[in-house]
Amino acid sequence: MNVIETNNLTKYYGKIKGVEDLTFSVKKGEIFGFLGPNGAGKTTTIRTLLGYLYPTRGTANIFGKNIEENIVEIKREVAYIPGDLNLYGHLTGKQFLDYFASLRNREMVLLDELLTTFEVPLERKIKGYSKGMKQKIGIIQAFMDDPDMVIMDEPTAGLDPLLQQKFYDFLKKQKKKGKTLFFSSHILSEVDKVCDRVGIIRNGNLVALEDVDNLKVKRGKIIRLRIKEKPENFKGPKDMKIKDGWIHFIAKDDIDKWIKKFSKYTIIDCEIHDFSLEDIFIHYYEGET
Amino acid sequence: MNNFLRFRITFQTIKDHQRVTIIITLLFIAMAAMYCGMYPAFKDVLADMAESGGMEAFSSFFGPAAADMATYVGFVNLELYQIFWMVILGILIGFVSASLISKEIEGKTIDLLMSNPISRKQIVFEKFLGLIPLVLIINFATMLTVVGVTVAIGEDLSFYNLFLTHLASIAYFLAIISIGLLISVIIDEKMKASIFFIVILMGMYVLESISKIIPDYESIGYVSITHYFVSYDTLKLGKFDIAGALVLICITVVCLIISMIYFEHRDIEVT
Repeated sequence: MNVIETNNLTKYYGKIKGVEDLTFSVKKGEIFGFLGPNGAGKTTTIRTLLGYLYPTRGTANIFGKNIEENIVEIKREVAYIPGDLNLYGHLTGKQFLDYFASLRNREMVLLDELLTTFEVPLERKIKGYSKGMKQKIGIIQAFMDDPDMVIMDEPTAGLDPLLQQKFYDFLKKQKKKGKTLFFSSHILSEVDKVCDRVGIIRNGNLVALEDVDNLKVKRGKIIRLRIKEKPENFKGPKDMKIKDGWIHFIAKDDIDKWIKKFSKYTIIDCEIHDFSLEDIFIHYYEGET
Repeated sequence: MNNFLRFRITFQTIKDHQRVTIIITLLFIAMAAMYCGMYPAFKDVLADMAESGGMEAFSSFFGPAAADMATYVGFVNLELYQIFWMVILGILIGFVSASLISKEIEGKTIDLLMSNPISRKQIVFEKFLGLIPLVLIINFATMLTVVGVTVAIGEDLSFYNLFLTHLASIAYFLAIISIGLLISVIIDEKMKASIFFIVILMGMYVLESISKIIPDYESIGYVSITHYFVSYDTLKLGKFDIAGALVLICITVVCLIISMIYFEHRDIEVT
């Protein structure tokens, strides 16, 4: 069953493109990673899905309900952690959580567990919170009534590695209970760790939508090499590229074979590194055009 | 229970405005006490001025009420109600209401607030309700102060008329809240919204004053909300302007509905 379904979802800010023709779905019980560099349209997509922005064209359904007609109903089952998290500074953590609990108007079944996992100074005013504390209370308010889906916009920003790990563990636990989690990120390693499936967005368009496992297969090592001989003479793989005198290719298999091959040439410079998110973008971007 | 009838945002709005309510209330208690209490000291001077025709300069701007300034009712009306009450308190309340929604958008807290299962219309409506206690408390406290000081200095004032004046004030301030609210759903920066409100209120006040001074321009006074609440008529003569109060209530309802519809259909952008 799909909990989010979009069909050519498009948002223009006047003439400026936010996102265009997004068609994707998120399945019930999965952790969906929404990847893209800054300004790619991740936040626009999320804000359109949650009814902050009205789509220019296209449609989207969440839990089978149209976002333009039933957004209040949808929000009963969908919580949100904004990327640019701003809280009511004049309230204490407790006052804020009480206020939001009263607005949700149902039992806060996960509140105690969340408060133990993500400790925050409840009696202190939120304006005195650090970035990490604010992020933690953002997480707590989203999950406290155990909603069926939580949409998160870069939720780990501001969390230290230890807390990030606690958060990933918590997400996995929620997933086991059949909850759906949608989260945007520009950090590939965290997507790797927790997500089942990813959508990659670039310049407002969806360029990839696949299982994380498939994405990993496509990865490998990126090799860049400069040799004294003519670069065209180097016998690399088919998709080898030459740019500014650099030989550029992806080693999907054992790199040992390549190192041995290099020894037949005079190496001026050599770089071997893992795929970064940027490389994957470039990879998809080139694939698109 | 249905979320619509719980008024949680209203309660929070009331709590959020506790401090400003107390400050403005104390300010107006002090103002009322000062102006009423000051009258005995000015009584003779004002009487001399009235005899020598010195009030005419005032009455050309403040209307016929100013000619009556030598009496206690006339003095309290002009100094306290026409200036401090209608203009200064109007500005203060409008200033607060113009930031009701714009504050949440500028501070980006609207993102979290709207993540709850509550419609945008309801957010606007509940915020509107949340400012009503402020108006009621200030009204009540000021009225009691005027009563107290009047009794203390032994002057003559119809407390029934005073009550009617404060009753009519409520309609006036509700209209002010709704105009401020309308501005606050349109303009995203709270300072800009509040200043825009002041410009509008002062503009209306000036238009009404012009309409009184220049006979041919009488009709332009109708665009001003100050036209529909004439404190002098109620305070001195006990005339409760029902038509005027109805106009103010209509303005309130119309502005509130436009605010709700406009806010429902706009994009909430973060920058």
